[in-house]
Amino acid sequence: MGLNPESRARFNLQRASVLLLEETPLGMSILVQILTGFGAKVLHRCENIEEAEQTVQKVECDLMVIDSMSASGGAGYEFVRWLRRSGIQPNCYAPVLLTSGHTPNAVVSKARDCGAHFIIAKPLTPISVLERILWISKEGRRFVECDSYVGPDRRFKNDGVPAGHVGSRRDDLPPDVGEATMPNMEQDMIDGMLKTRRVQI
Amino acid sequence: MSGAVSIHVPEVRLAKLIRTPGGKPVAEAMRDANKGLEGIQAECLGELSEILKKSEAIVGRSGGVYKAEVTTELYKLISSTIGVPTACGLKPIDTMLVSLADLLDYLHGQASWEPNAVAVHLRAFRLLLHTEAARDETGTQAILEGLRRVSQRFAKPVETRPADADEDAAAGLD
Repeated sequence: MGLNPESRARFNLQRASVLLLEETPLGMSILVQILTGFGAKVLHRCENIEEAEQTVQKVECDLMVIDSMSASGGAGYEFVRWLRRSGIQPNCYAPVLLTSGHTPNAVVSKARDCGAHFIIAKPLTPISVLERILWISKEGRRFVECDSYVGPDRRFKNDGVPAGHVGSRRDDLPPDVGEATMPNMEQDMIDGMLKTRRVQI
Repeated sequence: MSGAVSIHVPEVRLAKLIRTPGGKPVAEAMRDANKGLEGIQAECLGELSEILKKSEAIVGRSGGVYKAEVTTELYKLISSTIGVPTACGLKPIDTMLVSLADLLDYLHGQASWEPNAVAVHLRAFRLLLHTEAARDETGTQAILEGLRRVSQRFAKPVETRPADADEDAAAGLD
């Protein structure tokens, strides 16, 4: 991502409604300091899942920063999973940034499948949080809903179908390239396409 | 996969809000956020001292043998502390906490307890928190590398785990 911390590019979070879920008071203080530093003014602070669920039902949120709560068995992952399937619009589609201090082996798949836009490993730094916020706020990201997963499309790089697998989507192309259906282009034609030309403006 | 798959592009209000006029330049936002974090450094340091004391008290209850509730309690305390040291400029302590959380996760998965491996992490915690050791970058990196090797050794089940005297010595276990 590589955002330059000295950049003069502007961004505006003043009117964004941000839900913060963090169970430790110091963890919450760190998040609040970072987000208020970014200029966010509307912060909904939740210390537990119940508060977060109530907030989501009452308030329209533009961004959610959710701690995974690995120490409590990954309750943060469960919250995101519930949110995505809750049908509470537009919050069920809101960009979710998950933060995690440590991910135990037992909950790695839960973390991957919960439906968050991005998972950031703690410790958090202002630049890493801002980079991720700007990244997840990009428009045009596809949202997938099926029996086993509801959340943003996890394929955000088009590397094709993994080797040895058959594509599961209609627009997946087979790994083998088929026979040519037209004659090759003449070299002159290719050169003509690459040739620098003078244009009149 | 079974059932229907629906793919759509929802509207992202945040994208529009971020582009609205006003707001802050990135450089100013970084300065303000870092200034805010500096303001809570004293509170963070005090909390870390308390967490160290609590950790040592929890380990004291283990009696040198595996007790699921002790391992779980210590894991909860350590994993929920990750991120606090960096906020007060003590990033090496965060690295140590991640290594200890890894170790506790492995031990819990294998229902075993390694008093020396846990103790060496807590000694490093005390050293990095209460002395100037954290300012010696080379020394700190050597300590952290030693801790990393100790915790990674316990990632494997007992029967496939190599005995490594060098790693123990590097982390001050001998």
